[in-house]
Amino acid sequence: MATSRATGRALARRLLEVSDLRKHYHARAGLFASLHGQTRSVPAVDGVSFALTEHETLGLVGESGCGKTTIGRIILGVTRATSGRVVFDGHDITALPMRALRPLRKQMQMIFQDLDAALNPRMRVRDILREAITLHERLDRAEVTRRTAELLDQVNLQAGKLASFPHELSGGEKRRVGIARVLAVGARFIVADEPTSALDVSIQAQIVNLLRDLQSRLGLSYLFISHDLEVVELVSHRVAVMYLGKIVEIGPADRVARAARHPYTAILWSSLVEKRSQEVSRTAGNGAAAWGVFDFERPGQGCRFAPRCPVYEAAGRPAVCTDPASEPPLRDLGDGHRVACHFPLAR
Amino acid sequence: MTRSPVLEISDLRTYFYSRAKQAFIRSVDGVSLSIARGETLGVVGESGSGKSVTALSVLGLIGGSPGVITGAVEFAGGNGALAGGNGRRNLLQDLARHVTVTERDGRIVAVAKDEPGWRAQVERSMTGVRGKEIAMIFQNPKSSLNPFLTVGRQISEAIRLHTPVKGPREAKERAIAWLERVHMDSPRLRFDQYPDGLSGGMCQRAMIAMALASEPSLLIADEPTTGLDATIQSRIVALLAELKSELGVTTLLITHDIRVVSRLADTVAVMYGGTVMEHGPARDVLAPSVEPKHPYTSALLASLPSAQKKDGPHAIDGRLSVIRGEVVDTMDVPRGCRFYARCDRVTDAIRARCMSQEPALAAVTTGHRIRCYLHGDEPRDGARAG
Repeated sequence: MATSRATGRALARRLLEVSDLRKHYHARAGLFASLHGQTRSVPAVDGVSFALTEHETLGLVGESGCGKTTIGRIILGVTRATSGRVVFDGHDITALPMRALRPLRKQMQMIFQDLDAALNPRMRVRDILREAITLHERLDRAEVTRRTAELLDQVNLQAGKLASFPHELSGGEKRRVGIARVLAVGARFIVADEPTSALDVSIQAQIVNLLRDLQSRLGLSYLFISHDLEVVELVSHRVAVMYLGKIVEIGPADRVARAARHPYTAILWSSLVEKRSQEVSRTAGNGAAAWGVFDFERPGQGCRFAPRCPVYEAAGRPAVCTDPASEPPLRDLGDGHRVACHFPLAR
Repeated sequence: MTRSPVLEISDLRTYFYSRAKQAFIRSVDGVSLSIARGETLGVVGESGSGKSVTALSVLGLIGGSPGVITGAVEFAGGNGALAGGNGRRNLLQDLARHVTVTERDGRIVAVAKDEPGWRAQVERSMTGVRGKEIAMIFQNPKSSLNPFLTVGRQISEAIRLHTPVKGPREAKERAIAWLERVHMDSPRLRFDQYPDGLSGGMCQRAMIAMALASEPSLLIADEPTTGLDATIQSRIVALLAELKSELGVTTLLITHDIRVVSRLADTVAVMYGGTVMEHGPARDVLAPSVEPKHPYTSALLASLPSAQKKDGPHAIDGRLSVIRGEVVDTMDVPRGCRFYARCDRVTDAIRARCMSQEPALAAVTTGHRIRCYLHGDEPRDGARAG
């Protein structure tokens, strides 16, 4: 069944294409350095390309600070990219003026991580939804009521909650209101930034199921940003792993999770197992020294993962890994599984 | 298990009053737990289950209105320096004198509290205990450290305050040794750094070093890994496991992350709606296949993403198994079982009791207790239930 779904998707229409996206933030340098016109620039996103088809979920994982959220924000036009292109449904949105962007924007929406900041605390659920429904089109009262009821039904929220303020809702209910609001404007593509991380496991499961149901009913596409690897593996068709602003591995979810080829991906997933099982030897945990410290500024030259890479150490620090001229590109390993590593792990 | 408990909580109740709703929030509603010396007790539960409030009640950190605490918290310090004859002290002693509780039908309906007297009594009980005998690690390491003081200064302060080491130079060396002990890289360098120069994982290591530096009899770790990256989380868990096996610190571990508990805890208490639903050895409580179990524990384990094997028993169509409904409202606790409304294992034989009377936490095997009529017959007795 998995294969038929995969080929089905290959035929599906490409909805989003991101190519060579870059975003450099300028770190504040000291007073004297800035007087001399020196600024340090930190590449939050450093040449990222991927595509997303309709009905597809792409999971984006990585440690905090790796640039996951920045990518989501750039795609939605909240943050301007330094360079690169974002093509949504055939339109290059990085080149479009604000006015032309508007009709596209309602199709691309974001579910935010912070539930309490995302909903206006002084508006009732009814008004929050009405605002979203009438944002892009003019509707009469009966039509708004009909749409509201439809939305409530789609996200399994009781009609009795319409009169509630956000603080009167539980975490799961707030999340449902957030999703309903996104559907209200007619979203086709949703950037879900840590949509389940603030929720308890029982509620997390409800929300994950809801997102899946909506995908199959409404044909939504998701960019699912999360550091919860287990949830990402479960909801995504494909997974991209980011490290310091670059995708180091991308491919079908089960391949990335269970047959990772990049050392970083393997470490990410093994940290899950390590946390879970009591039997794992403590020596594995004490690789902390080799694991080192996460550094936002570009460490060394060549492969950006080399300073923390166990394979690099084990192979006797091959020169190619730190050669400034040969940062490993994403190479195709078949079945859409691509990895950026000079010495990919054996299968 | 003949080891004497370091901490023994009996029938702890911590209520708050919501002025807006004119009702009591029964955050902790009759919790009894004990931790033996050297043991790690994991308390798991969803938000609002009362796990953190239990810890804060033990440390006398409950303020607010009225912030009632009843019950007993017996604490046995390590060096016998505590008042109370045998080195044991009831941390809630004499607090009852500062509150008047009106009960009706076994439920608290009104409370009058003498706040200043209460505060003073709490501080008397906590002298020499909080920070010294009982140390705490909080969820958010960055905001728990003082941003205006170097990490080293904060740790050596704890050492000079809580251990016989009083000299500044000696305390500094001791602090550096602790930083090394928690695998902080370049500890001498870190000693002089401020918290904002450290990553989240390093701050948590510093917090752990500071907590252990006062050589406590009991360590309370409240969500020690929440909010950290997956890779860092596993490092911190590995560190805690290492410290546990080498130093044998008695630990009360509070978390909603079942994976962390299953790695670290010897015994586990599953909390729901302010009360303990199941309590027993970690390997029995947390292994999905081991029965008997409280229906809530089963459902909780089944809803974990890791439980969703492709053709596992809980997966329907690759969907996650869910616990229907929402977490019980601690302001409006039902008469019967707190989990009844969400339970999918109620049988007709017990339904009437489930709805009307709360079950007791009854032993199913030695050291394993479950609050469910499926596994025990007695209803909860009002005064001193399990």
